Amino acid sequence: MNRQQIPHVLGALIIAFFVAFPFIYSAGNYDYIMHICIVGFFYAILASSWSMLAGYAGQFSFGHMAFMGLGAYTTALFCHYLFLSPEPTGICTEFAIAGQYLVIKNPIGVTSTTLTQDCLAQAMESWDGSVQITRMPVWLGIILGTLVGGIFGLLIGLLVLRLRAAYLALFTLGFSEILRATISAEIQVTRGQAGIELPSLFENGITVAGHVFSKTDKIPPYFVMFFLLLGCLALLYWLSRSRFGLFVRALREDQDAAAALGVNTTRYKILVFVVTSMMAALAGAVQAHYVTIITPNNLMILQMSLVVAMAVIAGVENFIAAAIGAILIEFMLEMLRTSFSIGGVEIDMSLWRLVFFGVLLMLTLRFARNGLLAPVIDYFRRGHVAAETVEKRASDAVDDSKNSPSQTGSHS
Amino acid sequence: MQYSSIFWWTILWVVSWGVIGGVVTRKVFLRKDLDTSNATLGGSVIGAAFGPIGLIPLWVRVPEITRVMITLSSLVVIGIVAAAFANADPDNNCVSNGSFVASQVTNGLIIGIIYGLMALGLTLIFSILGLVSFAHGAFYMVGGMLVYYIVNVWFPGTHPLIGVFGACVLTFMLGAIFERLFLTPMYDGRVERPVEYGILVTFGLSFTLTYLVAAVAGSNPVKVRRFFDFPRIRLPDASDPWLIKTSRGNMELFDTVSISNPRFVAAVLSILVLLGLLFFLHRTWTGKGLRAVSQDQDAAAITGINPNRMNMLAFSLGCMIAALSGAVLVQAFSWLPIVGQIPEMRSFVIVVLGGLGSLPGAFVGGILVGLVEAAGTGCVPNAQKASSYIPAYGMIILTIMLLLRPMGLFGRKFASGAHGKF
Repeated sequence: MNRQQIPHVLGALIIAFFVAFPFIYSAGNYDYIMHICIVGFFYAILASSWSMLAGYAGQFSFGHMAFMGLGAYTTALFCHYLFLSPEPTGICTEFAIAGQYLVIKNPIGVTSTTLTQDCLAQAMESWDGSVQITRMPVWLGIILGTLVGGIFGLLIGLLVLRLRAAYLALFTLGFSEILRATISAEIQVTRGQAGIELPSLFENGITVAGHVFSKTDKIPPYFVMFFLLLGCLALLYWLSRSRFGLFVRALREDQDAAAALGVNTTRYKILVFVVTSMMAALAGAVQAHYVTIITPNNLMILQMSLVVAMAVIAGVENFIAAAIGAILIEFMLEMLRTSFSIGGVEIDMSLWRLVFFGVLLMLTLRFARNGLLAPVIDYFRRGHVAAETVEKRASDAVDDSKNSPSQTGSHS
Repeated sequence: MQYSSIFWWTILWVVSWGVIGGVVTRKVFLRKDLDTSNATLGGSVIGAAFGPIGLIPLWVRVPEITRVMITLSSLVVIGIVAAAFANADPDNNCVSNGSFVASQVTNGLIIGIIYGLMALGLTLIFSILGLVSFAHGAFYMVGGMLVYYIVNVWFPGTHPLIGVFGACVLTFMLGAIFERLFLTPMYDGRVERPVEYGILVTFGLSFTLTYLVAAVAGSNPVKVRRFFDFPRIRLPDASDPWLIKTSRGNMELFDTVSISNPRFVAAVLSILVLLGLLFFLHRTWTGKGLRAVSQDQDAAAITGINPNRMNMLAFSLGCMIAALSGAVLVQAFSWLPIVGQIPEMRSFVIVVLGGLGSLPGAFVGGILVGLVEAAGTGCVPNAQKASSYIPAYGMIILTIMLLLRPMGLFGRKFASGAHGKF
């Protein structure tokens, strides 16, 4: 087997392992391990799309989690406030659509008592169970969330066109903070820090190949998230191999030179923002439906630091490394959670693990600039290039001296 | 809010003319091949202030946009918005209660001075290293925490000022060590993209420091006692409308403005530090060297200033200033490991507003942000919402500033090298 093929074979093995994993693993902590896997895939989507944005296109954005939050909150609000009813309620805002009524619930915010009810609950009380209302489908919310993420990616991409490096980082950080503050402050609509609840991914369970999965089963969300990750990686791979990938890398190296050589820098800069923010929004929307609650804390700078650290430690200029690194680091962080005590001193590992993580991030940046995982992949994929070049040069030199000794002589 | 629709229509009018002014003026100036560094900012404030009446002459005559024009138009915009607000909500404390306004303005100014000091550290680092330190908030937090540890844990009974001094020394050393270990590759091209490297590595430092302190100190808020008590004064004696009256924790001026002791002490200490810093930067050889490096690294090196050493000095000095502003404020707020995040964002806002790398800009920006935050918390009708939005006010300023004039109010018009790049 050729050395170059090792990464491909390994990649196929990893995919096969993750496909088979839910069926072969059967220890007592099954649900917990599956949960870590799902969260790992979620971070993998974020880290790999961020590595496309930061590593390939050189746009160091700190607003990636904000796009994630936009996707999550769009689908949350959509599923929380919109319902279909066959009868008009008479008290809510409603529109007649194709024989049904689209009911918009009025926002009541966080209420500690049950005395205040939203208009739909009041209407249902008066109907006394005679009318069945339906929720909006979850997939529609996820699609809407992705689209909203894309639209905001477009807007942000347009706004940051003129900004470079430090200014871009500050601007995106600002965007993310404004979004977080807005969500925390508009308690009436978003329920603020209390968080907003969502229906789970498959509310009524799902039947696949004769097997019925209930809504708390981990296998359906596991595969949804896993195939999303594969889809995102495939799209990123295709993009990176096409002209798009070349152009955004040219953008990263030297924007002015790229523009001078005829790259439409405006278009590609915006495009890379749109694509990556849609991925983040999609991941956020699915994750929100999986954990069934979303709070503004998910948009905190800590979450963004995790994504950045995962991508950087694994290798920011290789999105596959970033994805694998995200899954590995998520596992590592979870495994390091158990606290222990040395000589009577209680070591709270839930905090110390993050300290180690931060130190690892700084050391990686300082001493292994391409990350820890990406060079390994490159070693197998491109390790032969150096040898081939040396060989080719040597044979060229031999050819030159054989074919035209007189010319070589005249040159020297 | 009685006539809130009028207020929102006014805002819409101002904003849309501002956008039109900003976009079109830049285009017009570009077409006539004129200097566009002020065009976007000038166009948008003139548009926002005077609408089409101001914009059309601007586009026809294309005069050079001066600082006076921008300042006047900005004042008109503020006037319009304030008038609309007063009309919409006449019962608001900001409109009807003069002493409340005076109190808010004074407190905004006082807190603005401290903000300015902290931002000064950030801008000092940027002007010399060309690096935006994302660890600035972490140093602010560490500064306060060190004062707590020195005064309450390690040496109980020491005067807090000694604690502040100790915190400064320790953070200065921490900054110097970090700079030597992690930032040196930035200077000589060992990293491909130094700006991004700097952002990420300071980001990592901030992460590490925050969780290190959280792991060591726990997550309970800590507090340090007041540094000084006010002496009891009441001037002039016994007459009823007093000019100044103090209790131990509070000071009242002219029967209207109330200033709390910790903030006042913090502001006074900040001013002292600031004066010391100005003296250092303008009167000593090392300070002049620092400013020389910030203007032109190569030219400074030719005249015998070691840029390497200046980089180290600037970074550790900047970190120390952040820690110092945390150290003087630890008596005013309760302290947590995450306490640095909002001040860090605020410093970013201030340095972008004032111009990255401009020392006076940082100070003016600090005071402006202090005033805007005071207005934002005092005037927005729903108090709970207003306090949740505090971090957003600054960020809105930052966003607008980056769009209109990325080099900031006092930024250099034609900057060179890594410092001028944006």
